[in-house]
Amino acid sequence: MNPALAGVALAVVIGAVFAASAHRARAAILGLVVTLVGAPAIADPPAEALGLAARLVGALLAGYLLWIATRGHNVRTAGSRVGWPTEAFVAAAAAVVGYGSHGLGAPAAGPPLASAAGFALAAIAVLPVVTGRDVLRVGLGLSLLLSGALLVRVGIGGTPDAFEQVLTAVLVATLGGAVAVLAAAAHADGPGGFEMSAATPHRPSHVGDPSAVRPR
Amino acid sequence: MTVLPFVVVAGVAAALALALRSRPRLSSIAGLLGLAACVVLALAIQPGQVSTLDGGGLATTDYQQRFLVLASLAALGLAVAGLAAGTRRDAAGVSLAVLAAAGLTIGLVDPRAAVLVATTGGLFGVALTLVPGGARAGATVGIREARAVIVAGALAIAATAWIGRDLRELDAQPVVFGLAYLAMATAVAMRFGAIPFHLWAARLADVVPESALPIVTAIAPAALAVVALGWVDVMVVPRPVDLGVERLLVIAVALVTIVLAAVAAFVQDDLEHVLGYAIVSDAGVIVLALAVLEPAAGPPARTWILAFIVGRAAFAAWTAGIRTGLWTGRVADLRGWVRRSPILAAAFVVIAVAGVGFPGLAAYDARTTLVDLALDPPFSTVVLVATLAPIAYYARLFVIGVAPPDHIIESGAGWAPVLERIGETGRRRWLATTWGRNRPFTTAIVSAALAVLALLTAAGVFGGR
Repeated sequence: MNPALAGVALAVVIGAVFAASAHRARAAILGLVVTLVGAPAIADPPAEALGLAARLVGALLAGYLLWIATRGHNVRTAGSRVGWPTEAFVAAAAAVVGYGSHGLGAPAAGPPLASAAGFALAAIAVLPVVTGRDVLRVGLGLSLLLSGALLVRVGIGGTPDAFEQVLTAVLVATLGGAVAVLAAAAHADGPGGFEMSAATPHRPSHVGDPSAVRPR
Repeated sequence: MTVLPFVVVAGVAAALALALRSRPRLSSIAGLLGLAACVVLALAIQPGQVSTLDGGGLATTDYQQRFLVLASLAALGLAVAGLAAGTRRDAAGVSLAVLAAAGLTIGLVDPRAAVLVATTGGLFGVALTLVPGGARAGATVGIREARAVIVAGALAIAATAWIGRDLRELDAQPVVFGLAYLAMATAVAMRFGAIPFHLWAARLADVVPESALPIVTAIAPAALAVVALGWVDVMVVPRPVDLGVERLLVIAVALVTIVLAAVAAFVQDDLEHVLGYAIVSDAGVIVLALAVLEPAAGPPARTWILAFIVGRAAFAAWTAGIRTGLWTGRVADLRGWVRRSPILAAAFVVIAVAGVGFPGLAAYDARTTLVDLALDPPFSTVVLVATLAPIAYYARLFVIGVAPPDHIIESGAGWAPVLERIGETGRRRWLATTWGRNRPFTTAIVSAALAVLALLTAAGVFGGR
């Protein structure tokens, strides 16, 4: 096992645990950025410089957009209800499963550490994605799930070429931007932080107001 | 010409339209010009070219060109209808971004790269969920849409990675093949909002304007469906693996979607939800195509996808026309709509004929072929009858339309073009007034134009026979 690769994989998983469990929004975003920045480095052979640079830019852009969306004093997100130790144990168990089942039935072209980290990220993402009632928390969970799937893809299929890395970077940044826009909209809409709305948006049956015929 | 100019122009125009969103008029102009350019560039694509990219390639095919031409025309029509009926200021920009992603998705040779772009394309629709004055509710719908897109994307990434490698030394049970196939089929079903993954799509109809709904729920996922069909053809069909149980699951999802979504469209009380469920119901046929697992499924499935995107766009434009002309979206309030707008009535009949079809129509034959390939008699006969369920919601709308109106009808007001002479107020004022007075007429004309396009597509004029 490559110790440097193992170190990066550990940092990626720790960042993910932080992102999923922190209650302070910007602390969670920092954890996510660590994960997004470190994930492309878990590859053997390493990704081409252009691809790595693109992934770095995509990760930082996603993090920056989320950072902007959480502007304010002590902005909080729901965080983990089960606490970070539980999240860490879940991640560790999933990493063992990922490492053990590396290749999923056929010789794999990537490192087992990518599969381990990918499984760990996907496992951490389950709770926020499935049970999250907070726009930012669900969004962070989605970013972790995507990163997990991309790591499993690297573990199985090997290091993606530079073009695929660029496409991946665009996807990561777009997801960050989409979550940032939604989180900012929810946060700006009165008290309640990033909490989801229990009510369904009301669409007027009779569009008698002048705004209905203008771009809005 | 390759697909690259199309992708670049659509992407740049999308960025421009979204960057100018604080100036709605300029943003709309940029969006409309971009969509018109997309139509021209899609027509200029020459099939059979391959641009080599790092580790893969970008191919232009005959089908890709037809898809992009029809999707661009549909998006342009919907953008004009949206301007007249009232839409989000980002609608044109989002349409352009979705078209750029669709062009790239269908063109990429490597499915592992294609699913990444298809997922990115799905995320653009989130911008349309932000409702003025209801930001939290809109954001809630938006994050649920993002959840569906990313979960589907993660499944597709895993599936394409698993089968997209050297499997000569495979030591896994065939069940793993089945899981990869099931993951891809589930990804497509989720993106279309197929039942039981439909809740996010149903809520989407609450916030996304009717004229923009097909962009998010039909055109964007259709690009992923095209990739999935190709992937199944190349990666799954040739393998001698029994996928009986997995196929049955996919067939079950498809059939439940076709029937229950049509029933849901029938019972809905407002047009946006009728439209939303009508899109989901027709998408069930695409999910069914993924269950066929024979090379013969590809051509009819691709024909159906073309008819699907144009037909649903025409229905959306009709919905926008009704809302603009009658100032309501409640089905119960639509008594006598046929008498009020002969143009919309004609468009509706054409849309219904194109949507339901009849033997000899390419789309109808494609659907019949898919059902016959997926199921054996007598089940195929039963399912074939079930695919005619959309007749129910079309008939309901038509019966309400021909019923005696429950309020006084202004004779022809709003349904004929209104043109006044340029007075002393100036040309700009005249233009604004004329545009304002012709909104119902504009949406009706766009609806009629898209209806004719839908019928031509369903008839196989743009290929598919």
